[in-house]
Amino acid sequence: MALRVQTEVSLKVKAGMEFLPVVTAFAEKASVALGLGGPESLAITLATEEVFVYLCAADPAHGPVDVRCWRGAYYVEEEFLFQARELNLAAFNLTAQPSLHSDRGFEDTGLLIASRMVDRFRVSTDDAGFHLTLVKEKNYPPLDETILPEPAALKSFSVRAPDPDELKVLIRLILKHHRKLILPPAFNFPGKVVDMAAAGELSALVAADSAGHLGGCILFRRLGMRMVEFFGPYLFNQPPGSGMARALGEACIAAVARSSIVGLISRYPSPDLPVEYFEALGDLTYRSPEGEPLEIGAYYRDMGEDPGSVVWTHPELEDFLRREYRRLFFAREIREARLEGEASSPNSVLAAEFDRGQGFVTLRPVWWGNDAEQTVNGYVKILCKEQIPCIFFEMDLGRAWQSHFATALVRNGFQPRVVIPYGGKGDLIIFQHSPGDCES
Amino acid sequence: MRNFSVQELLPEYVKHFEPYVPSKPDSELMKLYGCSHVFRLNNNENPLGPPPAAQEVIRSFPPRRAAVYPSGDAYQLRRALAEKFHKDPEQFIVGNGANEVISFVIKAFCAPGNNIVTADKTFAVYEWVAQFSGFEARLVPLKDYAFDDWGMMEQIDERTKLVFICNPNNPTGTYWNCDKLARFMDAAGRRLIVVLDEAYFEFVEAKDFPNGMDLIGEYPNLVVFRTFSKMYGLAGLRIGYLAGNTEVVDAVRRTCVVYSVNGMAQEAALAALEDDEHIHRSRLLVKEGKDFLRRELTRLGLPFITGEGNFVMIRLPFSDTLAYRKLMTKGVMVRTMTGFRFPNHIRVTVSHMEAMQAFIEAMEQVLAEFRGGCRRSG
Repeated sequence: MALRVQTEVSLKVKAGMEFLPVVTAFAEKASVALGLGGPESLAITLATEEVFVYLCAADPAHGPVDVRCWRGAYYVEEEFLFQARELNLAAFNLTAQPSLHSDRGFEDTGLLIASRMVDRFRVSTDDAGFHLTLVKEKNYPPLDETILPEPAALKSFSVRAPDPDELKVLIRLILKHHRKLILPPAFNFPGKVVDMAAAGELSALVAADSAGHLGGCILFRRLGMRMVEFFGPYLFNQPPGSGMARALGEACIAAVARSSIVGLISRYPSPDLPVEYFEALGDLTYRSPEGEPLEIGAYYRDMGEDPGSVVWTHPELEDFLRREYRRLFFAREIREARLEGEASSPNSVLAAEFDRGQGFVTLRPVWWGNDAEQTVNGYVKILCKEQIPCIFFEMDLGRAWQSHFATALVRNGFQPRVVIPYGGKGDLIIFQHSPGDCES
Repeated sequence: MRNFSVQELLPEYVKHFEPYVPSKPDSELMKLYGCSHVFRLNNNENPLGPPPAAQEVIRSFPPRRAAVYPSGDAYQLRRALAEKFHKDPEQFIVGNGANEVISFVIKAFCAPGNNIVTADKTFAVYEWVAQFSGFEARLVPLKDYAFDDWGMMEQIDERTKLVFICNPNNPTGTYWNCDKLARFMDAAGRRLIVVLDEAYFEFVEAKDFPNGMDLIGEYPNLVVFRTFSKMYGLAGLRIGYLAGNTEVVDAVRRTCVVYSVNGMAQEAALAALEDDEHIHRSRLLVKEGKDFLRRELTRLGLPFITGEGNFVMIRLPFSDTLAYRKLMTKGVMVRTMTGFRFPNHIRVTVSHMEAMQAFIEAMEQVLAEFRGGCRRSG
């Protein structure tokens, strides 16, 4: 379960336009060397150009900029590390509208273009400075129409890791037998799943007989530093009482035991989930392919004895949290995070992760700013206009600044629904937007 | 800061190993879980504490002695151990708890490319120390809750240097009897070291249980671990030891850190060693507690496994880690077994009757809530 394949190249320049060709050439060559195809490499190169131009304008002192590129299992990440007193990253918002009436507007247009050229981005700060990271994924061929033999009930089985070819068969079987479930978008690309597994970003266990017939599987991946998310168990034509789902569940737990992982989570459980091993955290509302509301429960288990922890919250959320922690028997010290006149950024930034196939989007805070309410409102308007039925917002209670979004969320029609223990730096609250508020 | 990367300094096998985070102190846990007292049934500690003579040593330990280094190799204690077990003092190494002697043995015998063989569902430290030292730990599934002798034999190859057998096994209490151990030792031959961890030896009642100390003469590649943490109630002072053939122990001594065992621990252990009455009283307490638990767990309909040792492993119809949180709110601390790869099991230390009754009462309430919840949802 390695976090990153350690293949990395780096460049250090000053934030001056004379270095722009160097930086773009670096991005292009590095991304190709690290495995991106032509169109993806071009996209991250263009994004790099826009970001660097923006940094040159934002830093008149022409301070140093470190650019690092590294290869993940199925993507390339590029990080810019730089010093800046203040940075307006609002253009990274999905809602950003370029202004053509000022220089600032033109600069922001570049950032807006950059954000649209890559699959994901994130921003953070530490003692070293600002980190702005762009992520571009490899392109994979779509699923073909391979016809698979129908699996039969197995008389006996054992649980083991599948080989790459078995893994691709398993993904096809999942898509065939469990298409009605919510599945990770990566499952639409078996090659991507194999790459993720090879890099340790995804693990799989298969229940198979000694002749190699496949009966079921479970897949799991790291979610942040302390959580593992699992998918399944998925069974293929196995009779009730086969014990296969339980064996797969136990094997998944055993694979994660004796590590630093504190919890296992299933956000999209299969009907075969052995629920006696897990705790029901609460439901989120999704939409069926026919458009009907679908309540889906999230299941969790601690991997060890919960030592308790501190969470930060806004007063608006305190009652909800106390109720949930009491119901779930989690020992938490709840601390109030409030703004007390300290200087803060005028602009807030959110990241949006889309799963258009399943009809939902997850918003995550990237940066807090005084315009949080307008930013959230802008996102809601756009997503409602795009008729995305399910809008979620994840707030990390281990990061005090994220709790400042609480009022903006509540005023824009979001409700706290589920607490995922240790889902982020601390516990994670998942908010869901009330569909009715789209219509108002 | 940018040019300093701890990750680049770490060997690969350490990079992928995660730090163990011990639980918070009881006072902190009580505050978090809102309980006013806590019965510690999680670490297989002896509720009687150390034997009286050891308690007296601790009480009368002169504070000024804290300024003086202890015996670097537990000279007096090794002599006493030699006398008790009819061996030479050079056949013993005393460590800062049995965990330290596990490290000594692995460091002494394993080189890059070597492996150790043990069970998958047993005391975790053999596996951990091997892995964070860069050696493969081959884990053999238990068979009927016990170490699988032939399964382990199949995993042994020319690169295997150590086999760890926890006898009786923590947490199942199963054990290899004299015949089974002898068969294994004969089959394994003498090209590897077999470690017999007898941390719970003094609690054992079974007549056919092998005494590793008696087998060292016959099997020069056998190393026996014992501890003062369990029966002798000195867990807080951290002291344990290994015994073996003189040549083997001499090899292990090359990797030892001397002066790692404090003076009070050495003296308390010395005083504890001869107290057979303490062993007798502790065994009586364990027998009484186990009888009570067997009866009550059967009444509650909870399957359990109890063999040798001062603990019982119980299967729950729900998550063990959820049970831990619920029991903590009722002032009872148990050990969850997910980390031992027994999900939905808890291990309970057999303790004095007040604690046993508190555990059963709390468990009964938790079960009632669970069964009530099942009825409502069913």
